[in-house]
Amino acid sequence: MKEGFRQAMAWLHTWTGLIFGWLLFAIFLTGTLSYFKDEVSHWAQPEVRRHALDPVASLGLAQRYLESNAAHSGSWMIRLPSEREAALNVGWRDPEGGRRGFVRKDLDAQSGQPVEARDSRGGDFFYRFHFELQMPYPWGRWLSTLCAFIMLLGLVTGIITHKKIFKEFFTFRPGKGQRSWLDGHNAIGVLVLPFHLMISYSSLVLFMYMVMPASIMASYGDTSGYFNDLFGRDEAPKVANVATPLVPLAGLYAKVQEQVPGARIGFIQVQNAGDRNARVTFTQSSADNVPYQRSANWTFEGATGELLKQGAPESATMMTAFSFAGLHMGNYAGPWLRWLYFAFGLAGTAVIGTGLVMWLGKRQLKHAKQERLPGELRLVEVLNIASMSGLILAVAGFFWANRLLPVALQGRADWEVNTFFLVWLAALLHAVLRPGRRAWGEQLALGALAFALLPLLNALSTGQGLNASVPAGDWAMAGFDLTALARGLFLAWAASKMLRPPKPAAKRAPKAAKVSPEMVEVQ
Amino acid sequence: MLSIALIGYAGFAALCLAMEKHFSELLKRKPSPGKLRVLRIGGWLLLMLSLVLAVHGRGWAHGLVEWIAVLMAGVTLWVFGLPYQPRLVLGLAAVSLVLGPLLAVLAG
Repeated sequence: MKEGFRQAMAWLHTWTGLIFGWLLFAIFLTGTLSYFKDEVSHWAQPEVRRHALDPVASLGLAQRYLESNAAHSGSWMIRLPSEREAALNVGWRDPEGGRRGFVRKDLDAQSGQPVEARDSRGGDFFYRFHFELQMPYPWGRWLSTLCAFIMLLGLVTGIITHKKIFKEFFTFRPGKGQRSWLDGHNAIGVLVLPFHLMISYSSLVLFMYMVMPASIMASYGDTSGYFNDLFGRDEAPKVANVATPLVPLAGLYAKVQEQVPGARIGFIQVQNAGDRNARVTFTQSSADNVPYQRSANWTFEGATGELLKQGAPESATMMTAFSFAGLHMGNYAGPWLRWLYFAFGLAGTAVIGTGLVMWLGKRQLKHAKQERLPGELRLVEVLNIASMSGLILAVAGFFWANRLLPVALQGRADWEVNTFFLVWLAALLHAVLRPGRRAWGEQLALGALAFALLPLLNALSTGQGLNASVPAGDWAMAGFDLTALARGLFLAWAASKMLRPPKPAAKRAPKAAKVSPEMVEVQ
Repeated sequence: MLSIALIGYAGFAALCLAMEKHFSELLKRKPSPGKLRVLRIGGWLLLMLSLVLAVHGRGWAHGLVEWIAVLMAGVTLWVFGLPYQPRLVLGLAAVSLVLGPLLAVLAG
């Protein structure tokens, strides 16, 4: 390989990494949180209690509730409680009620009564943010897809730039300033490379209808026809206008179990409920298979319980695309694999973060003797701080708002989101006003406090702290609290490094290393 | 899954020790070329063994994914543990070498 080529790749890696790094960091961090989307949502709505799973009983409760509350609507949806989701979720089409003509209710899985949970978007906020970036459709999706492409480009150019990929495969030398950052950046990048490649490539597959629509446009004219073919159309038969009671859904569930023993059911759709032409479709949970497929479904005649049709298996091409989608979302992952997903997501975030820090660190060295950084480097420094520690603070702010905002507040869920962005903005202002190293230290210390105290806040505000959730075996709730605590400790460690005067080897020495009283607690 | 993780971890440890630089640094003595070759072959064999166990136990779809996942986790733990707790990660590799196959036999 010619050196010129490698230099060109290094240049591309450095500059695309810098320009998109801040956004990519946010996408990776919120995406990583999304692996625990349901668990975060469970924490965000502690009113929904977890019960032992009993699909047959849950189906009976859902059917009874819908028959007495949604008989006027022909179109029902039921999502059964799962290992990860506590609520029995029902919904129905109602032109006069609900958002977009669709009413949703969370039922208690044991009593079948609706739960009045606090208004919160929970884990769904982070999930949506990581590919829509809080922008109007379709701009956020375009931007995040572009970021995925840049990530892929960054991985390929990074591998080319990294000369000793095999020789230094096992190498990490801490405590050596820039050398250690580069080692860390390389090691996490290379060792977790299969995950990084999978996650960025599959993002492009997920949005291929946007990125490369030519073949879809040529055969369909628009994307809706393509999606109908891909996922199946809702072919509701005409209403016969003959009232006929719906067979018990639990009986249909048993028929599905005969076909695929042990199949977990994701959602159940009922069309023309209460009519002679009722149709019931059971769709297998995406937790059951690695590929994110929709073909595992069974449609029954609602009045007789006769099996009408089964989803046709996908073609090899679709299976490939769905496999990438499934791998990206990780719905199939059990608890252990889910934790690994989470760890690798953090690793991806760390690769981006270390890259940003190195970009600045290298250039700061040249200005070590000067009093002030040149303007453009100062700008990068401020953006680094705001996009990394600022985002961490914003996430903490979201969770604090979830527990502290009054339950009766109008537009409560929106205020949680507003808090997220307001905290982020405040972190940006703070980074502008304070010198670099101090800003890092202070924000990390505040983040440490905010996360470490979350379990306490949860215990005080809901009575479902660790003392209650661990004995009850509610591991989603307890796991959230413990993770917040661990994160708080990690941030405290990072903050203590930043607040201490840097070693002689490091770059700019701040004049005073006075520690304000609130920081001492963390250290 | 644990046995696959342990065998894979031991495999990567062997591959790491098969590099002269790491061997002499970790074990404080010069390796003979023969020893390095044994370590290299042994490391690859352990990785292959964990792959076979993963696919055999969980099928291609889950097996392959889980194999890659635990391998990545293991080698990351090894590389970042090495400078801080070399004895601990080495000891863990030795334990894995015994415990991994044992668990696989018990489960199989």
